[in-house]
Amino acid sequence: MITSCFPIAGGRFEDAGIASRKLKEQLKKIGVAGQIMRRIMIAAYEAEMNVVIHAFKGNLWARFDGEQFNMEVVDEGPGIADLHLAMKPGFSTASVEAKQLGFGAGMGLPNIEKVSDLFEVYSQVGQGTRVRSTIYLKTQPVEQSAGQGLSIHEELCVGCLDCLKACPTRALRVWNGQPHILSALCIECTTCIETCRWGVFKVPVTRSGNASKESPAGAHTLVIPRALLTQFGSKIPPTATLAALISLGYKDIRFTEEWDQELRRMVSRYAAEREVHPVISPICPAVVSLVESQFPSLIPQIAPFMTPIEAAVEAWALGTASFVPACPSQHTLLKRADLSGRLRIIDPAELSARVLRQVGTQTETPVRIRKHSDRKGSGGNRDPGVLEAWGIRNVVEILEQAERGLAGDFRILELSCCENGCYGTPLFQENPYMAEKRWSASVLEPGRPLSVASIRQPRRARPGMRLDPDMCKAIEKLARIDELTTELPGRDCGVCGAPTCSSLAEDIVLERHPGLECPFSPTGGSS
Amino acid sequence: MKLEELIEVIDVRMLQPGGGRGAEIARVFAGDKISALLEQAGPETMLVTNLANAQLACVAELMDCPALCLVGGAEPDSQLLEAAVRAETSVVVCGLDMFETCGRLHRRLYGDDTRQP
Repeated sequence: MITSCFPIAGGRFEDAGIASRKLKEQLKKIGVAGQIMRRIMIAAYEAEMNVVIHAFKGNLWARFDGEQFNMEVVDEGPGIADLHLAMKPGFSTASVEAKQLGFGAGMGLPNIEKVSDLFEVYSQVGQGTRVRSTIYLKTQPVEQSAGQGLSIHEELCVGCLDCLKACPTRALRVWNGQPHILSALCIECTTCIETCRWGVFKVPVTRSGNASKESPAGAHTLVIPRALLTQFGSKIPPTATLAALISLGYKDIRFTEEWDQELRRMVSRYAAEREVHPVISPICPAVVSLVESQFPSLIPQIAPFMTPIEAAVEAWALGTASFVPACPSQHTLLKRADLSGRLRIIDPAELSARVLRQVGTQTETPVRIRKHSDRKGSGGNRDPGVLEAWGIRNVVEILEQAERGLAGDFRILELSCCENGCYGTPLFQENPYMAEKRWSASVLEPGRPLSVASIRQPRRARPGMRLDPDMCKAIEKLARIDELTTELPGRDCGVCGAPTCSSLAEDIVLERHPGLECPFSPTGGSS
Repeated sequence: MKLEELIEVIDVRMLQPGGGRGAEIARVFAGDKISALLEQAGPETMLVTNLANAQLACVAELMDCPALCLVGGAEPDSQLLEAAVRAETSVVVCGLDMFETCGRLHRRLYGDDTRQP
């Protein structure tokens, strides 16, 4: 894998194209050619010219790992006020000088989107814009890196099998007394973490020091879920937690939920322009994964925006920031988005412990919390056409109804896997409703209004459910699975280590693990 | 078709030989927007345009485009010619206007068959 960075100077038409040329030289050396090179060059040059025409300066980051090409062009500039307008072919705000040179046709972003397999834009007015393009080298999109947001501590497993039954996508197995995650099926919701009493499933975040160690230049920004502030019971209010975080050396504390409001505004506008309802809001990344893997027919109904955690990451494209993920799904997105390695990911449990130690020692300094309008709070002029629902069972049921066309009376579905949104993540201990109430009762100071816009499209079906890349072979396998399932007792007891008899049949046919059999079937299911 | 056979019909001056008169040309694309030229340029495509700035050579280089034809008598700036040397792209200047140029090139490439792209 190679990662490179090429600087781009804004306004200097005489130097324009240098970054793309250098990128091409590098790609030629590793044998990239033909259509792939064409697509990469179109994306790179258009993105580079956007920086030259509109911004002060920027960087082109490129990463190539043999399976896919990832490019990220980040600029410091005026940002884009209306991304939807900017995406319309023909719309341009280029200067007269640029237009005289043949630029400003309003085809830049649309062209990048056209040649990309995955395309993302994030822009914040007054700060800058970030364009990301992914181009797959193989015709099949490579599997998304799901299932990596969780780590398994096998030594803690007692083999109770509770997790098998709880997993909504049947992605768990217990083989030889050890739990396994089938990463192609895992959507990184928090169900297994919540279900397991023994703490087998964890989010694999690296240990970190204090803020000053993380950033040699001194303190920097910390982005946390709001729920983190309200985890310490009735004696330690959110303001005290915030003061403790500041005394740990973070100069600026931001909340992931600040981007929720922006997303709601964009989704609401998007839904108003669409004829097909409901529109699914990408507010919870695990729900997006669930749709991509289990409800592919609903993918076109996901609003084409980034999830709030992705948008929050984009906001620190130029600087450093530390992030506390609220769930494995957020953790995976943080890892994926960090092309240039500037983000720090902090374990919520570890940070909580540090906060507790700090609260014990410090004298209380008055801190006011900046607040953005809450879901149910003061600014919550909520649209009656929005269906909000929490909890994985509800989410699955609602998506099933939507798939059957029975949810068209709702304009927007705002679904979250955890109870009461991120307040209910099992990474935090406090009851989700108590945590939220403590937040909404805390001291209020109007937050900075965000003016961000993001686009992420297209979303693709994850191949996790596919039995074989070759459809003929997949049909054969399906027939064998059906046949085998009828031979099994149908108790779905889980003793074999698979959640259901049909899962066991699938595991045997797909040879997921050696020596699998049903202890209650005369043939062992292995015929 | 070889570049030299193609440009016979449009009375051009060759300002920069690039890959030479023998370069193979399979299609021509005409336009005045860089984005459109970028999208259509390719290893056997000659670009015809009213533009005459150095970014044209950059597009040609990135897309491995063998030839640029500047119409309407546009005189290219020196930066374009320098960039074309690096890009190994031929640059020809044609005194005819865009319509006439394209008409003649089309007839040479495809004969009288108007259905050809």
